[in-house]
Amino acid sequence: MAQQRRPIWIPAHALSRRQLLVGGTATAAALALAACGSDETTSSSATTDGAATGTTGAATGTTAAAAGTPKQGGILRVGTLGGANDLIDGQQIVSKADIARIVAGWESLLNFDPDYNVVNTDALAEEVEAKAADLYVVRLKEGLLFHDGKPVTADDVIYSFNRMLDPDLAVFGGAALRPILESKGLSKIDERTVQIQLLQLVSNFKEALCAYTTCIVPAGYARFDGDPTTQIGTGPYKLQEFEVGVQSIHVRNENYWDAGKPYFDEVHIIDFADGDAMINALVADQIDCAGDIPSTAVDVLTGTDGYSVLNAAGGGWLTISMAVDQEPFTDVRVRQAMRLIVDRPAMVDEVLGGYGRIANDLYSPLDAVYLGDDLPQREQDIEAAKALLKEAGQENLEIDLFAPNDTAGLPEMVQAFSTMAAEAGITVNAVVLDGGTYWGDEYLKRTFAVDYWGTRNFLAQVAASSLPTAPYPDDHWPPADSTFIDDYNAALAEVDDAKRKVITDKMQTELYEEGGLIIPFFQNQLDGYHNRVQGLVERANTLNLDHYGRGYKNLYFSE
Amino acid sequence: MSNSWGVVRFIVRRVLLGVITLFIVSIIVFAATQALPSDPATAMLGRDATDASVAALSEKLGLDRPVITQYTDWLGGIVRGDPGESFNARQPILDYIGSRVVNSLFLLVLASVVSIPLSLVLGAVQARRRDSAFDQVSSFSMLGLASIPEFVVGVILVIMFSTRLWNWLPAVTQIGTDRPWQHMDQMILPTATLVLGAVPYISRVTRAALIEVLESDYVEMARLKGAPERTVLWRHAMPNSLGPVFQVIALNIAYFAGGVIVVEYLFNYPGIGGALQASVRVRDIPVIQFLVMVLAAVYVVTNLVADVATILVTPRLRTRVS
Repeated sequence: MAQQRRPIWIPAHALSRRQLLVGGTATAAALALAACGSDETTSSSATTDGAATGTTGAATGTTAAAAGTPKQGGILRVGTLGGANDLIDGQQIVSKADIARIVAGWESLLNFDPDYNVVNTDALAEEVEAKAADLYVVRLKEGLLFHDGKPVTADDVIYSFNRMLDPDLAVFGGAALRPILESKGLSKIDERTVQIQLLQLVSNFKEALCAYTTCIVPAGYARFDGDPTTQIGTGPYKLQEFEVGVQSIHVRNENYWDAGKPYFDEVHIIDFADGDAMINALVADQIDCAGDIPSTAVDVLTGTDGYSVLNAAGGGWLTISMAVDQEPFTDVRVRQAMRLIVDRPAMVDEVLGGYGRIANDLYSPLDAVYLGDDLPQREQDIEAAKALLKEAGQENLEIDLFAPNDTAGLPEMVQAFSTMAAEAGITVNAVVLDGGTYWGDEYLKRTFAVDYWGTRNFLAQVAASSLPTAPYPDDHWPPADSTFIDDYNAALAEVDDAKRKVITDKMQTELYEEGGLIIPFFQNQLDGYHNRVQGLVERANTLNLDHYGRGYKNLYFSE
Repeated sequence: MSNSWGVVRFIVRRVLLGVITLFIVSIIVFAATQALPSDPATAMLGRDATDASVAALSEKLGLDRPVITQYTDWLGGIVRGDPGESFNARQPILDYIGSRVVNSLFLLVLASVVSIPLSLVLGAVQARRRDSAFDQVSSFSMLGLASIPEFVVGVILVIMFSTRLWNWLPAVTQIGTDRPWQHMDQMILPTATLVLGAVPYISRVTRAALIEVLESDYVEMARLKGAPERTVLWRHAMPNSLGPVFQVIALNIAYFAGGVIVVEYLFNYPGIGGALQASVRVRDIPVIQFLVMVLAAVYVVTNLVADVATILVTPRLRTRVS
């Protein structure tokens, strides 16, 4: 537990709106809450020019499952970035290592399919019926068993929701759930059926059930505290051994409900403090795959026989945040000038090593309502920026831009911005702080700072970062005279997709024109693997390693 | 007889001095970690921190007590061998990182055991064949080696022996819950990295000290009496050169304690380096304090041992202390 920093690898998905449209897959309504994304979306290749010209539709998985029955057996060794603060909890994560482990042991009620529809594939619910926008009925699949052989029942579902609602536990899905659900809203209909009465209309509630941290745990479940046998879930692999910060060993769940899977006898998840050591281990054949590799390692792996790189479009982004309620950013012209200062393609190259695509100061690129590709692409315009600054009386502006030293990309981004700002004649001092200091008491209070995010749907992201009630109000949005909050509430209550899109278009246009965030790009997810690992598909994805092969159950070794 | 009593008195005095040093270090460590920006309760609760929850957690962690009480309780615990509980893992520190301390100490001992004899022999051969081609080439290459930072040496070793040139040795350690001595093949590169960092220094001092002694009158006398050069070197000259050598060995072991952290990072070795870094990140103050005290103790103890050993091998000093 105990991390001073929020976990960030919120599910992301990464198709641009144009790709979705071209691919004819723009189906999902964008609704609030869903802090989860599809990891089964159509494949897209990363574009560094930001033109979103990636191929669409065709699944171009480099090692897509070949015909024939996958080989059974073997030990998959997975490298992940982690350390002494790792935890195992069926509903909580703080690091990439925790994500690599949670997907092995636990599953959610629903999922997204490749077209971003909510489905029950790879999930525990047979169906979730919306009786009304605030009344849902969850019916579990038949014959589901936990790792210890006990059946999964309505009581476990209710316990799982109550556990997320417990403010003291503060597990990951709880923050989004607590405003809309109380414990008394949960009722057992029969052994496999639970009714959920929400406190308000939330027409997209099903999407919240897709999050990889909204998992079903058995009644009485508690976080790992030394005894691996307590770590019971429904996932393809069950925990056998966990040495914090070193490695965990997961063995095949013989009770697994998805017939024939998983394929490996064991999965070993091995912690690395450093990406370079992880790459060395991969090339020396001490691990079979490595999640989240540095961009500098891509050439190393592609140049080594027997290894491949999974370069998947992701929807995660880094932001420079201007507090709209603090000088000089109370003046919208200063905010607009700052956004015009950014040379986005240069940022992609300098900060991401080219592995990303440029963005348009709006978030949620995978959401069907994403407007960033429909609005004019913002480009660097130093003259216009100078003019705006002069108009605002800030042509000699000098300001500190803060970043932490513990998050790859953020120091590079503020340095790059500082250089670009100098071209416009203003002084932006890049101040890189120790991570503990940066994420400490002053986090989210600074005038000019940075942050990082995975992607989620537009309204869910608004709830997370663009409202006064948001847990992470990066830019202190909205200004006092804005109708943004009313628009948000209207969108949340609106069940008609077309009518809701009118509202979200208005909100995004406001953010695009007057917002306090500079979002220069969306990042790709880079992973490395030995070619003996089969079943990894290169496609837009929320989690590394193709959603960790959906808990490693889709992966197997070649003959 | 009075001679050996003098030595005992000297040792007692040095031990007391070491204890005082550690006591002063403990005050500094405690004060410095208390002074870290952002308090641990807020850091642990993150954005969910309300005033009430911060206060509750502070009480639970004992952070609401007066600083002096916190210090004396902590010091008392350290002395009793109970350094307390990790804020982060909510486990006793020794359970939480005890195995990591053992792992790091093992690496340190292994590096010392390899590097010290190697350096003595190398220095002796260089001294004996002073200005020979061997002496010049080896001295020059040792000097070059000494000027390369150890992480560069480590990276080169990995490239050579693990990933690029030959796939002979593991690139990283993967000992899991085992003990490192169960996987000696994985210890080779981390140990070699540390050894290559230390040998140049120890061998150089050995060479210099030996050369000085080899030119002294009593060695000349031994030679004139017909003692073979090997006997002259190892029986007569070496014992009298060890004083300064012990000192530089102590410095190097102390340096290992720091170098271990870099090497652990490079080879993903589960030692105190990773634990220290992680605990600083989450403000796990009891763990930081414990690890820093362990490092300080390694410094104090190695220096103490070196001082005593120097006294024992140096008759002049032995006489003086008595």
